[in-house]
Amino acid sequence: MTSPVWKIHRNGLFWLLVAFAAVIILHADHLPNWILLAAFVAIIWRIQLYRSAWRPPSRLIKTGLLGLCLAGLVAEYGSPIGLEPMVALLVSAYLLKLLEMHHRRDAYLVIFLAFFITALDALFDQSIGNTLYIIGCLLLVLAALLGLHGSDGNEGQLRPLGKAMTIMAQALPLMLLLFIFMPRLGALWSVPMQQQSAKTGVTDTMSPGDFSRLGRSGELAFRVSFEDAIPSQKSLYWRGLVLAEFDGRTWSRSSLSRFQDSNLVQWYGDPPKSWDQVVDRKGEPLTFSVVIEPTQQRWLYALDTPKPDSEGVGLTRDYRLISAHPLRSKKQYRANSWPEYRLEPQGLSSQHRAVYLQLPEEFNPRTRELASRWRKSVSGDPELVSRVMALYNSEFVYTLQPPLLGKHSVDEFLFDSQRGFCEHFAGSFVFFMRAAGIPARVVAGYQGGERHPDDYLVVRQYDAHAWAEIWLEDRGWVRVDPTAAVAPQRIEQDLQSVLGDETDFLADSPASLVRFRHIGWLNQLRLQIESLNYNWALWVLGYDQIQTAFLRNLLGDNSPWRIALAMIGVGGGLLLLLGLWMLLPRRSERSRDQLDREFLRLCQKLEKAGFPRQVGEGPRDYTQRVAGSRPELARQLVEVTRMYETMRYAGETPDARTLARTIHSLRINRSG
Amino acid sequence: MISRFRQFFQHLYARWLAHRLPPARQVQLNTRSLFIFPSRAGFSFLLLIVLCWLVATNYENNLVFGITCLLTAIFVVAILHSFANLSGLNLSCSRVSPGHAGHPLTIELVLHQSGKRLRENLILAFAGHEPVAIGIAATEEARVKLGFVPASRGLIDPGRLRVASLYPLGLFKVWTQIDLDIRCLVYPAPQTALNRQTTVSPVGGDNGLIVEVFEGGEDFTGLSDYRPGDSPKRIAWKQFAREQGLYTKHYGSAQDERLWLDWDAFPGLDTEARLSRLCGLLLSIVPLDIPYGLKLPGLIIAPNITDAHRLQVLRELALFGLPDRGGDR
Repeated sequence: MTSPVWKIHRNGLFWLLVAFAAVIILHADHLPNWILLAAFVAIIWRIQLYRSAWRPPSRLIKTGLLGLCLAGLVAEYGSPIGLEPMVALLVSAYLLKLLEMHHRRDAYLVIFLAFFITALDALFDQSIGNTLYIIGCLLLVLAALLGLHGSDGNEGQLRPLGKAMTIMAQALPLMLLLFIFMPRLGALWSVPMQQQSAKTGVTDTMSPGDFSRLGRSGELAFRVSFEDAIPSQKSLYWRGLVLAEFDGRTWSRSSLSRFQDSNLVQWYGDPPKSWDQVVDRKGEPLTFSVVIEPTQQRWLYALDTPKPDSEGVGLTRDYRLISAHPLRSKKQYRANSWPEYRLEPQGLSSQHRAVYLQLPEEFNPRTRELASRWRKSVSGDPELVSRVMALYNSEFVYTLQPPLLGKHSVDEFLFDSQRGFCEHFAGSFVFFMRAAGIPARVVAGYQGGERHPDDYLVVRQYDAHAWAEIWLEDRGWVRVDPTAAVAPQRIEQDLQSVLGDETDFLADSPASLVRFRHIGWLNQLRLQIESLNYNWALWVLGYDQIQTAFLRNLLGDNSPWRIALAMIGVGGGLLLLLGLWMLLPRRSERSRDQLDREFLRLCQKLEKAGFPRQVGEGPRDYTQRVAGSRPELARQLVEVTRMYETMRYAGETPDARTLARTIHSLRINRSG
Repeated sequence: MISRFRQFFQHLYARWLAHRLPPARQVQLNTRSLFIFPSRAGFSFLLLIVLCWLVATNYENNLVFGITCLLTAIFVVAILHSFANLSGLNLSCSRVSPGHAGHPLTIELVLHQSGKRLRENLILAFAGHEPVAIGIAATEEARVKLGFVPASRGLIDPGRLRVASLYPLGLFKVWTQIDLDIRCLVYPAPQTALNRQTTVSPVGGDNGLIVEVFEGGEDFTGLSDYRPGDSPKRIAWKQFAREQGLYTKHYGSAQDERLWLDWDAFPGLDTEARLSRLCGLLLSIVPLDIPYGLKLPGLIIAPNITDAHRLQVLRELALFGLPDRGGDR
């Protein structure tokens, strides 16, 4: 029954193209330029198709275009696995399909593709601004879907958008309900990740220059809120990675630290592993929760010495926290930390000892020689440590722009350049300790953070830091931060207080408001935006991690039954209200209906008397016809009709009761 | 086998429909009369929601999850909007133009609402006929003309009227099949082929062919201006040759001009064929301005020439021999 040739009407096409342009612009920053160009051509072509100025692409051209797109994608990305190639592929399909809409179902496909592609953008950018833009796009796509079904015409041009807004606004409460109550399952299978995402942040290797690069970035790393007061700045060592293996230039994780052996990770909720006994936790723990930005990696950050308090978080053998899955999006986790602790004070196994004393033979002979010389001249390990620290303190310069180092990097740093950033100090210190026979390791993570007036801590990339841990008899692993010896301000305040004047500081974040901390109102604004973003991350982006607790608070119990009941109850109520509001006639309509009913009663009366109303006969025609045959009723009938018509159509206040009385008083005998 | 099942279920459906939505002159569309079900696009949209949910779950992305929730909520809200587009509308039939079997006739419907709700893209059709789309923009009443091609003569029920709408999102189809208790007066299909065997008897009973009546030397009564449609055989060629203009000759006495449409003039034909021929004859006589009468078994209508007479004759032809002659409408 559908007409064989379907043609989209002007209004429908208008909204379809507006939505198309919005969706393409939404993805513009991670689409290759030639796709943007192709999209532009597709829009022009589509308009010309509508105007019948150009011909639809022939099968040959369509195949050619498809091949061109595929070739372009292969050239651009190489492998089809990955988020960007996937999105680019969908977008190419979207713009090719735009050119061949022969049926209404093709238009549906175009619009549903637009919905899907819009949703995918949320994988790339979850900021508040982008979310608003995504909602705008969804609104336009919805308008396009509406335009497909509405009528054409100039006066109705904006109508689809208005209706789309209404529908969206009415859908919002229900959406919130679903968002709050729908259970999250967690990843079902592994999915391709973003390829080109710049993985800023601490990596699992440390070479000279790595951390000074992070000093150039003001990007957010994570935010922490403490159950109680935020501890003092100089105790905020966010342990992330332990680097024990050194190849002469780069520090990396030892095989011990790669948690291939499930025995080396104690997941939250598991029974304690045997190695958990070797840590001696004292006093009250600090409880804090962290919202971490996606790093695409598994390690998490916590104060020493931590224990996880969230599902999917585990404690490793070297006392760090890790996540069960790579961090694809913002993640929230809770942990407890005991600032007073003793780690493995009873002694190291020979295997561990070997790992933490390992040094490549052929590098840094001068340092080795100095270490063994000092070793002999001091009475104990602590004295050796303070001697090295004194050396750093006397001669060395802390800078973001250290000179490049050659093959014997530690030697060159210690004896020649003497200028470096935290990785130089931590690396050379650990090397020195190992050369002197003390087990040592590099710990990488962040140090400090900015206190937000709303009582939480903001840790940025330039807070990245590396320090050392050495193992001392009877005391176990002890944290030593050689940077503190060179630039104590770095530890007690932050990097800006030491190196804020260096040109490299924040060089990669030229627009960062952190730069203008000294301007009062700008700083206020910055802190407010920061607070908004934090709450957004905490309550929306990280909702899945607080859902259980939130629902327990809300419902008193989070059994599936109660959640289902709450959802059905509230959702049903919302829909019922909306339905009543939409479908029940308005007051004026109701009284009009009453008038109609009364008039119908009159018609029945007259019909009984032998004057049935004819199809299509208006009230006046009808009563006049009856009045013609029954002149004695004429006056009353004219009166009733006048009343009915003025109340019903002329906008006079309806008064159904008077009309009813008048009709009731009408006595009609059956005509002979 | 399958077709028998299908027939069986269609039969059940029709019976259930007849019970649920009995014929009525005026029907208000409401929860009782409207049906709603996701369209094919609606099911595709559900698939889209599942896809978005999979992305949200696998990437553990709450924003995509939120979008999934929004799409789901839009789907649910669309139910109400789809329903509201038809609900509260009153339909009745205002006029049926009579027509002939096998030829389209128009049924005019009145769509009336007590509010000023905007209704878009309502699609109306009688079963097996071309649908008509109509929108009601902030008026209380709209009229729409629907085509209907009756298969046979008589007082014909056009069947159930299907009113459907996909508005606003196309995700749900809302429809109803109502019986507005319409009876169309359908005249027989006119059979115009007038061959030598078909006869119309002039008054007086000599069973000559009508063409012979005109040819057969009756009294010439006068000339009138030629009108298109007049038989070429009656053109006054003599006057035309004298370049006096084109005239039509009129023959016979007043009595002779009264024709009978006679049932018995078509021996050997069945009822419908006879009625078709009588109807065709009637249509060709009307422009001649000759009084005509109708003779059917058990019914004689005296010759006359008025419009009312014509309609009465047509009506008798339409209803002849049918058990249910229906109420006068």
